[in-house]
Amino acid sequence: MNLTNMMDYHHYPIYAVMVLFLGAFLVAAGGARHSKNPDNPAGARAWIALCATGLSLLFLVLLVKPVMLGGETIAYWMGMRGIAGGYAIGIALEVDALSLFFALLIATAVFVSAIYSIRYMVHDECVPQYYVLYCLLAGGVLGLVLSGDVFNMFVMVEILTFAAVALTAFRTKVYGALEAAFKYLVVGCMGSTAILTGVILLYAQYHTLNLAQLASLIPGSMNDATKLAFAFLYIGFSTKAFIVPFHPLAADAHGAAPASISVLISGVLTKSGIYAIIRLTWFLFQTMELGSMQFMLVFVGSASMFVCVTMALAQHDFKRLLAYHSISQIGYVLTAVGLSSALGVSAGLYHAMNHTLFKGLLFLAAGAVLHETGTTDLGRLGGLSKKMPHTTVLFLIGAFSISGIPPFNGFASKWMIYQATYQRAVETNNIGFLLATVIALVTSTLTLASFVKVTQSVFFGQLPAEYENVKEVPFGMRLAMGILAALCVLTGLFPNTVTSVLTEPAARAVASVGEYISAMGFKSALPTPELSFAHVGVWAPIKWLLLLCIALLALTIASLAGKYDRVSAPQEEKTDTKYQLFYGGERSVYSQVGGGDLFWGFKHNWRHYFDFMHNLHSGVVNDYALWAVIALALAIVYMMIAL
Amino acid sequence: MTVFLTGLQYLGYILIFPGFLFCFFCGLLLTGIDRKLVARMQKRVGPPLLQPFYDFFKLCGKETIVPAAASRTTFLVAPLVGFAALVVVQLFIPICGFSAFTGMADIIVILYLLLIPALAAILGASASGSPYAGVGLSREMVTVIACELPLVLVLLAVAKAVGSALGTGLCFSVSEIARYQVENGSLITRPSMIPAALAFALIIPGETGSHPFDTAEAETEICEGMHAEYSGAPLAIFKLTHAVKLLTVTSLFVALFLGGIGTGIAAVDGVIVFALCVIVTALFVSFVHAVTARLKIEQVFKYYWTVVSGLALVSLVLAWYGL
Repeated sequence: MNLTNMMDYHHYPIYAVMVLFLGAFLVAAGGARHSKNPDNPAGARAWIALCATGLSLLFLVLLVKPVMLGGETIAYWMGMRGIAGGYAIGIALEVDALSLFFALLIATAVFVSAIYSIRYMVHDECVPQYYVLYCLLAGGVLGLVLSGDVFNMFVMVEILTFAAVALTAFRTKVYGALEAAFKYLVVGCMGSTAILTGVILLYAQYHTLNLAQLASLIPGSMNDATKLAFAFLYIGFSTKAFIVPFHPLAADAHGAAPASISVLISGVLTKSGIYAIIRLTWFLFQTMELGSMQFMLVFVGSASMFVCVTMALAQHDFKRLLAYHSISQIGYVLTAVGLSSALGVSAGLYHAMNHTLFKGLLFLAAGAVLHETGTTDLGRLGGLSKKMPHTTVLFLIGAFSISGIPPFNGFASKWMIYQATYQRAVETNNIGFLLATVIALVTSTLTLASFVKVTQSVFFGQLPAEYENVKEVPFGMRLAMGILAALCVLTGLFPNTVTSVLTEPAARAVASVGEYISAMGFKSALPTPELSFAHVGVWAPIKWLLLLCIALLALTIASLAGKYDRVSAPQEEKTDTKYQLFYGGERSVYSQVGGGDLFWGFKHNWRHYFDFMHNLHSGVVNDYALWAVIALALAIVYMMIAL
Repeated sequence: MTVFLTGLQYLGYILIFPGFLFCFFCGLLLTGIDRKLVARMQKRVGPPLLQPFYDFFKLCGKETIVPAAASRTTFLVAPLVGFAALVVVQLFIPICGFSAFTGMADIIVILYLLLIPALAAILGASASGSPYAGVGLSREMVTVIACELPLVLVLLAVAKAVGSALGTGLCFSVSEIARYQVENGSLITRPSMIPAALAFALIIPGETGSHPFDTAEAETEICEGMHAEYSGAPLAIFKLTHAVKLLTVTSLFVALFLGGIGTGIAAVDGVIVFALCVIVTALFVSFVHAVTARLKIEQVFKYYWTVVSGLALVSLVLAWYGL
């Protein structure tokens, strides 16, 4: 094989996965000793991991032109095997625009988080092992979304689950880390087993594991065993996406894991679950035409949205709060995808991308706070904006994005989701979709409330005396956050570019199952549908921003011409107790403005709901395992009746 | 030359009508009228009509004090951003048939753009570091959540009603809604829209923080809450934002439910819309202010999510079945 042949872009998908596994191997080969440099205990091994993730991203970016813009579906057989006797033999990768879309999200998050890790992990033990697991996790997720057969998806799920469990428990000295990892292990393994069972059932029925071939065989020959397999696979991948009822695991895992790993669990692992659910429902079983399947996804999505946002409002730990928001945003994605309309899928994928960007940014900001102060307890923090101004600004960009404040990216995608759900409600005259629209709109406001709480109790308010000496985080960490923040702003300002280059090709790929099957060499009579991404709303972020800037400029000139800038100098700090802050007779630190009680007026009206939720989320792994069993039983019954 | 003239025209829109100058005068005047009306209803003499103007200019001349615990930049920039964002929203609201900028934002976007001034005020208050401001912003946020649900339901009902009348199924564009009303008469004349109009009218005092929903400011208990630490010019900007918000929300009400009365001449229409805003303010802000006492925050929330949302829901269901 000569060099030009090797650099043919059809090889890039496997290169993108291989460099990560190779990176893991090289890091492990470098041994476990810490280097002498206190700023980078893993030494060259950290750079190997960074190069591996960077290269992987590069390979995928080079695929944008043929796959996204050219509309090609790459079918790649490993070891020169192929179709023999009408059956797919051997391991295959199949990359259509949907796979590539998710792969790009994953590679971006992995790369940015690797940049962040270098300075973030300096105080930890066993840092070289961290990079081994990190590369394994990244490789596992990337392999999952690029894989062309269902058994390899299971293998990759196993790799990523165990890497994720180990990384959750990485900081063994953090309170609850081992417990969180154990919970994740138990329920995660139940999920993996469910996936394996589903795969076995399919193999027994159809004697093939190739996704494309299965997609060509299953829809014509649905029987009870296939439906059972569907239920098992759906529940298995739900545990990976942490959607309701598996959301408590995410909270525990995020609370304990290092922030750079939270980015992967939230931005990458959940995406792989969503990706697999899309593959299952749209491709393998082609059930999205059915009202019952749309109902299931929209219902689970809306439930995830609302339950998790209210759970987040009740949290008083920065990272646990972010964890619940993560699932809440995944709920938006699932709802939009479940609409079964071209606009809905495009909007859902757009939101999936935005979720990776803003949630990554927020977790990194939480990590920055943890890195400098040693805590993420909202009740103990405060006033950090004076000590960490850059982190504050970057956090605010992330918070505005997730709360759907125009013109940031969260708004662009949520706005499309509102329209997609409402349009669907009007088209089908189904009041359920209307309810989903209302829940999505209200959830967005509750998200804002929750982030106002974080802003107030971490970055603004009074600075506790113990954080007097806190410094801004190192440049490497700010750089990683800056990249994500810039992407948040850009994808919000140019929604048309994002949809035409990334999400609409991916949504087209979702709708054209026939092409997916025939690209692998199997026969398909499925037509390529005509898709319409038309929507009734109008939103021109650039023009709006221009107007705002002109207005702000005019206002600033007017204020400067007036006396706005004649601000009296701040008085020097008075230490006498009579200058301290009081509220309602109490020292301000004892007032109810911090942490958990900030939105008392809201929570009081919902107290029965919150009490119920509080009792339900017992934190006992047995309960969560039971939920998984119940969910599986319900899914089986539902599939048997509905399909 | 034409580019230059068009640019000048748009600059005129932003700076004069329906932008800054219009907002400044009409907003403050509307507040003055409101204060006078409330006073007369309570058998007081009340301040002169131009009192908000006097307050504004007096505050501008006062010293600005930044608390030691405050994050200085956010504290000072927040009022400016909030006001600028609000003025931009006003540009999108059609005045009878006339819209200065079309094709830039629909009603869902306007709903979210209206959040920016509230968010700016919240961030400014948060940056001041005062616990009073902390309580104030907590209440403000709960009020925003409280108003959001009914507002969403009202907007969805309007979108559906106009959409099915136009035959497109849905209509999110404000200028389309305005044009529909010019051709077919005001939406409030349709029976299905009356509960929605009433719900929106009840949202106005909540959105503008007027009695009995002014828990977030509550001078008597938490020292004006969010504005506790503000003084001088930033406080003047906040007061102005408050005044303009009254104008924005009432003119949005007029645009959505009382449209189609105009003459086609922008200046005359401006006067008509302002007159309608005054009537809406008198009925749903001043009168309500004069006869009620301040609610507690949990009561505000409950009221909006039950009574007002219920009204809006009735409208939505009626519109859904094409009435």
